[in-house]
Amino acid sequence: MNNDEIDRRVRAEVYDVTMRSGMPPPAARIGDALQLAPDDVRASLQRLADARMLVLQRDSGEILMANPFSAVPTPFSVNAVGLSTYGNCIWDALGIPAMLQCDAEIDTSCADCGTAAHISVRGGNVIGEGLMHFAIPARLWWKDVVFN
Amino acid sequence: MLFFRSEEHVDRWCESWRLPRGAVIPLDKGWELARAWYGEDRRLPDWRRRTLDETEALFASLGFTSEFWNLR
Repeated sequence: MNNDEIDRRVRAEVYDVTMRSGMPPPAARIGDALQLAPDDVRASLQRLADARMLVLQRDSGEILMANPFSAVPTPFSVNAVGLSTYGNCIWDALGIPAMLQCDAEIDTSCADCGTAAHISVRGGNVIGEGLMHFAIPARLWWKDVVFN
Repeated sequence: MLFFRSEEHVDRWCESWRLPRGAVIPLDKGWELARAWYGEDRRLPDWRRRTLDETEALFASLGFTSEFWNLR
């Protein structure tokens, strides 16, 4: 199997697990599922990260973001189709019901004052009060994707 | 991309972080963006990231045409 094929299978496995469980899988689980050696999985994850399809945790090499899903808790909690999960930002919090094509309940807070906010996605419509602010110009988003 | 209660809260946050104000969009426009951006099935073998041209076209289709959304 060449690297392109490995990467396609790893990406499909990552999103299959993430969309069913709400949580990006650890590298070991990907290896077990695809019968790939740990080094091959890590190399594939790095190639996918280099291609901006995933974001990895800096030291461990485990997945940090399989956008729109986050592998770690964030201020963007999403409940959808029985999954309790996290988006990486408010865009990604809305991206989870967009990807799963379902309703969702999103709990977040105002980044300025911390006041709690609740947003619903029901029947293809978003219900809630508030705004989204993009601080970084689009061409620079990937320069520091964790901050962004 | 962060959530804010109002424009006033965006301005206060930008001031406290000493950042220029970026782009502010209402939630319903953000939902349109999320659906356009994440609506494809990333499990499919032939899924790929959008090219610059495709991303610019997507932004333009949503009315995001200011310099802030320029990718080049």
